[in-house]
Amino acid sequence: MMRKPFIEVVEIYKKFGDVIALNGVSLEIYPGEILAVLGENGSGKSTLAKILYGLYFPDKGYIKVDDVVTVFSSPAEAKNRGIFLVSQRPQLVDDMSVLENVALFLNISPSRDLKKKLEVTLRDLGMAIDVDRGVYTLSYTEKQFIDLVKALITQPRLLIVDEAATYLPRELKIKFLDIIKKFAARGGSVMYITHKILEAIEMGDRFIVLRKGDVVGVFEKGVDVTTIRRAMFGSEEYLTTFKRSPKKITHESFALSVENLIVYDEHGKPSVNDVSLNVRSGELISIVGIAGNGQKELGEAIAGLRKAARGRIMLNGNEITHAPASERIKKGLIYVPEDPFREGVAMGLTVAENVKLFSQSKVSRELLDALIKKLDVNPSNPFINVAKLSGGNIQKVSLARLLLTTPKVVVAYSPTRMLDERSKTLTLSILQRLAESGSAVLLLSEDIEEVLHISTRLGVMVSGKIVRFFETPDLESCREDIEKVMVHA
Amino acid sequence: MPKVAIVKRELSKIATALAKVLVILLGLLLAATLTSIATGNTLKLISITLFQSFTNLNVFVYISTLLPTAVGLSLAFSANAWNLGAEGQLVFGAIGATFIALFTPLGRQEIIAPIAALIFASFLGALWALPAALLKMFRGINEALTTLLMNFIAYYVANYLVKGPWRGRTVYGYPTTDMIPIESRIPTAPGYSFSWYVVVACIAIAVLLYLFLYRTRVGIALRALGSSIHFVELSGLSSKKLFLIAFLISGALAGFAGGVKILVYHKKLVEGPIVGGGYGFTSIMVSWLGGLNPLFVIPASYYTAALYILSFGLQIGSAAVGDALSSTIVGFLLALILLADFLTRYRIVIRFR
Repeated sequence: MMRKPFIEVVEIYKKFGDVIALNGVSLEIYPGEILAVLGENGSGKSTLAKILYGLYFPDKGYIKVDDVVTVFSSPAEAKNRGIFLVSQRPQLVDDMSVLENVALFLNISPSRDLKKKLEVTLRDLGMAIDVDRGVYTLSYTEKQFIDLVKALITQPRLLIVDEAATYLPRELKIKFLDIIKKFAARGGSVMYITHKILEAIEMGDRFIVLRKGDVVGVFEKGVDVTTIRRAMFGSEEYLTTFKRSPKKITHESFALSVENLIVYDEHGKPSVNDVSLNVRSGELISIVGIAGNGQKELGEAIAGLRKAARGRIMLNGNEITHAPASERIKKGLIYVPEDPFREGVAMGLTVAENVKLFSQSKVSRELLDALIKKLDVNPSNPFINVAKLSGGNIQKVSLARLLLTTPKVVVAYSPTRMLDERSKTLTLSILQRLAESGSAVLLLSEDIEEVLHISTRLGVMVSGKIVRFFETPDLESCREDIEKVMVHA
Repeated sequence: MPKVAIVKRELSKIATALAKVLVILLGLLLAATLTSIATGNTLKLISITLFQSFTNLNVFVYISTLLPTAVGLSLAFSANAWNLGAEGQLVFGAIGATFIALFTPLGRQEIIAPIAALIFASFLGALWALPAALLKMFRGINEALTTLLMNFIAYYVANYLVKGPWRGRTVYGYPTTDMIPIESRIPTAPGYSFSWYVVVACIAIAVLLYLFLYRTRVGIALRALGSSIHFVELSGLSSKKLFLIAFLISGALAGFAGGVKILVYHKKLVEGPIVGGGYGFTSIMVSWLGGLNPLFVIPASYYTAALYILSFGLQIGSAAVGDALSSTIVGFLLALILLADFLTRYRIVIRFR
């Protein structure tokens, strides 16, 4: 018996202004199958997801569901056909409770039945979340799970997972992926979108690679990393291996020092609890920890986006504890925020205008073009609105701030989270080069992989405290110890 | 059943502009036809009234007030500074200009008098905007509410002045001041009540503010403030200072417009609601019609000014269609701009199955 695909995408073509996002993409997904869709930043993955979910309307091409040509003009219609999207940013209304959110999403009233059903589903998944809690009290991770659960509760036929697991801490990620696998094992279809090759290989039954809107590779199970990587990035060499240069500390004094810092979160609980650390010029210090352990708040307090409740922050010997962020930046601090959409760029401006704001001096056209080329921003036209770029490319624009000066101090919080392998490597090498040329670099991260090879010193943060510093020329050998400290204590 | 979907689209800038002009022209034609059917006047007569409204030099009377005010507001709105107090700031500008012209020795010196009066008018306009800005910056109080309420205070301050200490000696008890000295008036175009100097100045202001907003770092940062305060701070620019700048510039320009009204049009201070005349409120709409871009505010203020003239022309001209219908037509023509904007951004897809 021939298997029939649940959904077929036929020659979909989508353009945004002059930018071609999808250039005639065709694929099909069978029941019980996980189709992994891979591609670097800006390759069209998210656009494809949004078309299947009825958020965008294709310029050309069509979709067939159960062999019937279908037009989705809104997510409501896609949902009616059993198609659900779980995206990288949980789609929940903060001011409402979990139950109300799920009811709103399903377009039904928040009845007792629904509550029971929701509680049962959550219990089956091993999540202990009170469904009457306001969503604003949930952590990012919990929100991401609720986003998945609200799709699963209706017995969907196709689940589109758009980088939704990418930012989850490891154990929870395993759990999250498990739920998706079980869903497929029961006959559901999954479109699993990611830029992480290993994650795709772990999840996928089949693989489709997109590059600049074209399908450049279709692979069956058993494909290896190199083959996929070559398809994603073309044949060019890009992986630079990191070699830590011997410590070249130019000054004995501290460029950045934090003394007994206490920072409260939105609920009045200390998220940074008595943290002290010092960074010298030429050092690259990393602070790792599982998400939600205070790295974000530490970074924001140093940048001035969050109030320090107690303690002192010094920049080159000047106290900046209570200075507004703008003043700290003027004094030579650069902060790379994690969320490019809200803090990294101004969405209403063009690429060129954003870059202009990063620099105190004039930015020539040549410099602008060079930056775009170096960061590989795609599309490369500096006069289009950043809002038209994909998430990863927006983050690249935000990173341009690192290339305009040699800052005294750089603080970055998960700067590579949105980036594909090539851009990630580039970003880390930029940070490393800045340290080599005399900047004091503090990298706050949730990803041990990215910091292990470039740090001169590494601290582990647990529940708002830095519980241990590791300092050896070969941090790789401490990996297990570091991981242990991250999870326990 | 046919399926109807509204779908986003993007046209090139030229196509967008052309489409908008076309929609507006078609709309004008439609408006003329409807009016002619409703009133029994010939289409020709209505079309002539329409045409005359758009070619009447009197549009500059309105442009002189609407343009500077709306340009200032577009700057404030770009920076997320919700200054709804242009009306009051305009009234205070008028008070300032009157003060210089009537009560200081500067008022009798040619050339110096109008310039000094306009500078002081701008200063008072900015000053009237200041409390709302400070309350927002240091106490987080919603500036839309404070500025809105300050309008009415400004009205009554003007009323108090013209009925009290500033009431003229030669005005037979009317609530106005004496006429300002000839030296402080700005010469008008012969036979009209607007001044070419002012028109040129207003256009220059629009162009300068465009360059400021789109070419300078501070201006770009002002626009970025509309997207993200944190982003602006992380770029090393003080979001509070920028907010204050946006507020003060918009207040100063409304004050300037108020000064112009006194020096060119009224030539004396009159009651608050008459000086203001609602132009401060209309300017809010004009700045949005121009998409908050000072250059596009120029045609937007022209269009709105022509509609003012049209509504008078329809009521008292040979077409004489009455107040209600003329308001309907003006409202229709304004709504058309929104329709044109919608049609250039979205398309409607209908599929039959």
